Amino acid sequence: MVAREDIRIRSLSEIDIGDIVEIDEKIGGEYRPQVWERRIGYYLRRDPEVSVVAVEGDRVLGFMLGEVRSGEFGLEEPAGWVEVLGVDPDCQGRSIGRALGEAMLLRMKKRGAATVRTLVEEPMEDLGRFFVSLGFSPAPLVAYVREL
Amino acid sequence: MSMPTTTETSTLPKNFHDAVVRWKDTYLSDFDFLIENWDQHFPNEPQLELCAYREKGMCDRIECGEQVGDPKFLRAGDLDAKRGHQLLGAIRAQASTEFGSIQQHRLTLARAPDEQDQMWVLRMMAEELRHGYQMLHLLLDDDWSSVSELSSADMVEEILSMTTGSHVLGAFNIDFDSFVDNVVFCALIDRVGKYQLAMQKQSAYLPMAESMPQMLREEAFHLATGVVPMRKWVTQAAAGEVYVTLGSLQKAINKWLPRGLEMFGDERGGGTNVRLGLKPQKNREAQELYYKEVAKVVADLNMRYLRARLPDLSLAQAKKTLARIVEGGEVVGGIAPERLLRAPHAHFFRRRGEPAFEMVGVDGEEFTDVDEYSRHLSQHLPESYLASRDFRSFLELLRQVDVGDVAAAEASRQAPSLRRVGGTCPCSKSVRWVVEATAPAVI
Repeated sequence: MVAREDIRIRSLSEIDIGDIVEIDEKIGGEYRPQVWERRIGYYLRRDPEVSVVAVEGDRVLGFMLGEVRSGEFGLEEPAGWVEVLGVDPDCQGRSIGRALGEAMLLRMKKRGAATVRTLVEEPMEDLGRFFVSLGFSPAPLVAYVREL
Repeated sequence: MSMPTTTETSTLPKNFHDAVVRWKDTYLSDFDFLIENWDQHFPNEPQLELCAYREKGMCDRIECGEQVGDPKFLRAGDLDAKRGHQLLGAIRAQASTEFGSIQQHRLTLARAPDEQDQMWVLRMMAEELRHGYQMLHLLLDDDWSSVSELSSADMVEEILSMTTGSHVLGAFNIDFDSFVDNVVFCALIDRVGKYQLAMQKQSAYLPMAESMPQMLREEAFHLATGVVPMRKWVTQAAAGEVYVTLGSLQKAINKWLPRGLEMFGDERGGGTNVRLGLKPQKNREAQELYYKEVAKVVADLNMRYLRARLPDLSLAQAKKTLARIVEGGEVVGGIAPERLLRAPHAHFFRRRGEPAFEMVGVDGEEFTDVDEYSRHLSQHLPESYLASRDFRSFLELLRQVDVGDVAAAEASRQAPSLRRVGGTCPCSKSVRWVVEATAPAVI
């Protein structure tokens, strides 16, 4: 699938680990290779086609990880869950996140998901607007948390 | 893993399904252990099932070659002789590799130093069994009598009778010496599998194309089964641990990469498959993409090592430092270029294809003396492999090529392999050394 300019969207692969570690470090300032080795291993086991990366040439510019699963919160029907999104800060403003989101939604639909869900922390208004632009709307659901 | 809504599931006729289960009990006896402990190691992940999947709704028009746009073939009986022969060879080779890799992995699975790595490899082996099952399904779900004198049942029996040494492709006839082989094999040889499956996803024979999507999903994890432990090992090596060193990883890469490159077939070939619409890329084109991808894996491993050795470097500093070492040949922070990993030259240690029996070193240097080249190989290949029959055979053929007794192309064809010979008569099941009259099928 061809996205904006020469950017291509393809399924997540293990060769993306290094590039995703780098994007995460650029965004968060922390080098966390083990985190991404574990998480990417998880998504590759679960469903490598639903999780996507945006590439230009050989370089990964952004990634979106998620999966289709059943049984969450008593919801038996398969639902898509968008769990992680990252775009190289040097490449923001090129609609990469949107291309990733559109591709993932299509793939989740093919997987049998009738709905797609995600969670956005309240201060992250940009991220909330991003999902609204993809057709998401706030769900009547309140997350409860307790420190232990 | 949830299946697409358009996926059809089926099993082999009972007698063949049972035959695969018996094969599993012989060569993958840990299968039941995997299933019993699945939830502990892969919580909330759907358990593996021994069945065949066909994805419906795929492109039903030929996607490449001379008949592009025509309807894809639904039955083997509709294929012309040439196409049928090529396709059947590819299915049998693919089946052989799936079962063959399990026979290799089982040798050293128990030596895994880490439980997670071991369970990942075990799951990968079980999924390879399913891939083999998928290929047998292709053989049994259609009538191949117009293409082969062997019945489908005989072809299945032949495939299930193969053992390490008798498989169709060279990489599946080499014994593993340690768990490093399990992991590096996943990273390099399964990667060839990914390319082959991706190409076959466009096959003009629709049942073949429909078999590929689920295999490709599973193959993505198999590559991680190789790359993730390698990333961990280089990190441990950077910390001074001595269990799996960069040196031993490098030698394993040198052992397997040449065989991986050869799995694409002769660099000058592949045009027939493209013309017939069975694959979209010629051998050289696919092989070059593969080599480039391996180079990226190696570069990422070097970065992982460097950042573990020099943790105070920022990302930008680490990139510059790696470039100074790899491209500039400098020693930085005690890391010399020769300490880092590299993909050996694509012509290194080759026995098939365009550079077969050229004496090319790991860095592309050319040798003119066989003894000197032998010493070079011995320095760059795992010590345990040097004692193998496979390596001895290579050197003996190389000497014959060097003195002009045999042409390189002929030596490639003569490269002996342990093969099952004869038909399906029980008395012919023994495996012995044979020299083939023609080159083995390459997919």
